[in-house]
Amino acid sequence: MLLTYLEAIRQGIWEEMERDPTVFCLGEDIGIYGGAFKVTDGFIDRFGPERVIDTPIAESAIVGAAFGASLTGMRPVAEFQFMDFIGCAFNQISNMVAKTHYLWGAPAPLVLRGPSGGYVHGGPFHSQNPEMWFVHNPGLKVICPATPYDAKGLIKAAIRDNNPCIFFEHKYLYRRIKDEVPAEDYVVPIGKARVAREGNDLSIITYAAMVHTALEASEVLRNEIDLEILDLRTVAPLDREAIVETVKKTNKVIILHEHSRTGGLAGEIAAIINEEAFDSLDGPIVRIAGLDSAVPFSPPQEHHYLPKVEDVIREARRLKAY
Amino acid sequence: MGTKKAKSKPSFNGNRPRNGAGARKNHVGADAFVRPVARSATASPNADLRTYSIPDYRLEHPDFTVRQVTEKDKYGHDHVRFEVEGNLDAPVPPIRDSKYLDQRQAIEIYRWMLLNRKMETALENLYKQGKVVGGVYFGLGQEACSCASAYALDQDDWFAPMIRNQGSMLVRGFGARDIMMQYMAKADSPTKGRDATAHFGDIEKRNMVSPISMLGDLIPVMAGVALGARLQGRNLAVMTYIGDGGQSTGVTYEGINFAAVQNLGLVLFVESNLWAYSTPSEMQYRCQDLAERAIGYGIPGLIVDGTDACQVYDAAHEAVERAHRGEGPTMIEAKMMRMKGHAIHDAAAYVPKPMFEFWKKRDPIARFESYLVREKKWLSGKEHAELIAEVERVIEEEREIAVNSPMPTPESAEGGVFCENGCHEIKPKYGMPKVKKGTAAYKATEAAVHLK
Repeated sequence: MLLTYLEAIRQGIWEEMERDPTVFCLGEDIGIYGGAFKVTDGFIDRFGPERVIDTPIAESAIVGAAFGASLTGMRPVAEFQFMDFIGCAFNQISNMVAKTHYLWGAPAPLVLRGPSGGYVHGGPFHSQNPEMWFVHNPGLKVICPATPYDAKGLIKAAIRDNNPCIFFEHKYLYRRIKDEVPAEDYVVPIGKARVAREGNDLSIITYAAMVHTALEASEVLRNEIDLEILDLRTVAPLDREAIVETVKKTNKVIILHEHSRTGGLAGEIAAIINEEAFDSLDGPIVRIAGLDSAVPFSPPQEHHYLPKVEDVIREARRLKAY
Repeated sequence: MGTKKAKSKPSFNGNRPRNGAGARKNHVGADAFVRPVARSATASPNADLRTYSIPDYRLEHPDFTVRQVTEKDKYGHDHVRFEVEGNLDAPVPPIRDSKYLDQRQAIEIYRWMLLNRKMETALENLYKQGKVVGGVYFGLGQEACSCASAYALDQDDWFAPMIRNQGSMLVRGFGARDIMMQYMAKADSPTKGRDATAHFGDIEKRNMVSPISMLGDLIPVMAGVALGARLQGRNLAVMTYIGDGGQSTGVTYEGINFAAVQNLGLVLFVESNLWAYSTPSEMQYRCQDLAERAIGYGIPGLIVDGTDACQVYDAAHEAVERAHRGEGPTMIEAKMMRMKGHAIHDAAAYVPKPMFEFWKKRDPIARFESYLVREKKWLSGKEHAELIAEVERVIEEEREIAVNSPMPTPESAEGGVFCENGCHEIKPKYGMPKVKKGTAAYKATEAAVHLK
C-alpha cells in the first residue's frame, strides 16, 4: 500500500501495540488530541488511556518514567512533541538511560521518538536536528529514516530492540513523500545503511531528508555525474562497512547532513574513511552541512542556512573535476 | 469524585481527598487521576481561606537557623563563615513508640543500623589503608532513616538509594561486601569495577534501581517503575530519597508531579540533613519545612524525626500501605543532620560546632539502643553485647572477602554497552498486561498539523 512517511510510523507503532501488550505510549498531547503531528491520532480510542498516556510538560519525567517502566519489562514509546525539546531531558538520557546497561547490567528497552529537522520555517526551537548530542553518548541507538518503508520497518525494530533507541522523524517528510509499504509485518535492521541510488563516479553519504536532496541532485546531474547515494538510516551505530564499500567503489565522497557543520556527523565519517579507506580516495572528502548557527526562522534565512540541491550539484561538479 | 464524599474518612494528612482517600477503586487508568470538581476540602468553613496541615510525628522541634556572618581577623581582613543561632541546649526527646513494630522487628532494624554504621567504619579504615579508590560517603547520623524506611517495604516493592543510604541496601539484601567492593573498584563488585559507591542495582531479585550522581533523576524513574508495574496489574510501592540539597533540582519537581498526576505509589523520603556539601538548608529553600511542598503537589506530606527509627518506620509503613492500595505518592520529610563531611576528604569545618554537639546527642543508634535495652528491656545487656559481636563478625567476614577480590582486568572495560546477543530476556516482571481494546479501528489521519 502507498503510505506517507507519517502514516508508516503510525502503522508501525499501532501494529506493535496490537502485537505486544508491553508496548505503551506516553508524551505530551498524544491522547485525545493525537499528538502535535497526529502520529498517535486515534490510538487512545483503540488502546485506552492506560496505554496512551498524556503527560505533564516535563521531558525529564517522561524519559525517567519510560526508563523506569522499561525496568519492569515494559516497552515504552515516549514522544517528544519536537525533538528540540529533548535537551530538557538530556541528563536523564545521557547519564541514566544510556549508561545503565554498561554500568549495572539493566537493559532499557525504550524508544524516544519525535519530529526533527528544518525546511518548515519552524524557527530555532522547532527545526533542530539534535542527533549528534546522542551519537556521542555510547549506549544509545540513533535512527533517522528517510523513507516510509524504512520509517515503518525501523520504528518496529526500535520497539523490539532491547536497548534505548532515539528515533528522529523528519517533519518535512511527514506528508511529503509516499512509498509502497508491504502490508505484512517486516522490520528494517538497525545499524544497516542502504544504497539509495547506485552510481560509479562519486558517493554521497547522507540520511533523513538529505537523501531526497541528494536524489534530486542526482537527477539533475544524471547525464553528467553518476552519483551513488548511501542512506545511512541509522547514525549510531554507523554502518562502517557500507561507508567503506561505497568509498572503495567511487573513490570520491561527499558527506551531506542537515545539522551544523562543526562537530557534525561528517567529521566522524571522514575519520572512518581516513582510518579504513584512505588509499581509495581520489579527492578530498567534502562536507555539505548546515551553518554553524541556530536554525533561523525567516524563510530566506532558513533557506540560506540549510543544505540545498544546488549545493550538492556545485560540490559534486567540483569534486568530479578534482 | 472524591470531594462529594465529604463524610468519607479523612485522608492521610487530613486534608487531601483528591489523590488520597478520594482515589477510585480502579486505580489503573484514566479515572485514577480525575481531579474532583471542588478543588480543595479545607479545614475551614470559609471557602476563601484554605488551610492545610502537615502532620509532624516528632517529639521535639529543633529551633535554630544558620546564616552567613562576616568577621574581621586581627589584620582587619574580612572572613565569611556560618553561624548558628537558636536553642541548642534542648533536652533529647524520647523515642516515639511505634504503632506497628513489634519487639523482633525493632531489634532487626537496630541490627541493620549497627551493620550500616560498622560497615562505614570499616570503609573508613579501608580508606586509611589506601584500599579505597576515590572517596567514601557516610550516612553517619542517618542510619535510622535509611534502615527503618527500607524495612517497611515488601519484597516485591522497589527502591533506589542515594549515596548515603547504604543501610537501605543492606536491608534490601545486598551484602556489606558488595558495597565494600564497589568502593575498592574490585572485579567482583556488583558493577564489576565500572562504578563506585552505592551506584549499582538489581532488577531481578532485590528490585533496586542504581542511583546516578545527578540528583533528582531517580524520582521520575521510580514513578515509571510503579507505572510499569501498574500496567501489569500491580500497585507497588517505589521508595527513593532526596536531600534538602537535591530537592532543589528541576527534575525533582517533574518527578513528584508526574507521580502525583498519575497517582503512582512513590514513597519519597526527603532527607533534610541540613547540609548539602557545604551549603546549609537555609540557602536551598525558603519554606519552613520541605514537607510543605507536598501541598503544592496535591499529595500527603509529613515530618518525622530522622533519628528516631520508630517514627521513620511508621511513616514509611503508612506510605507503603497507601501505595499498595493505589492511593498515590507520599512525601516524608526526615529531619536529621549529616554528621560527617560531604565525603571522607571533607572535614566539614564550615559546620558550626554547636550543631554537631546538638545532633550528636541525638545519635540514632545510641537513642535506639537506650530505648531497646533500658526503656523497653527488649534486649538484655548480654543480648546486646552478643548482637554487636555478631555484627562485627559479619563485617569482618565481609571485609575479608571484599579485600581479597581481584582488581578487574583492563580489558574488562570493554563490552556490555548494549544489551545484545540474548544477554537479557525482556519480559513483564509481574505478568503480561491485560489488554483492553476499544472498538476503534485503525484509520489514516489527515488532520491539520502544527507545521507543514
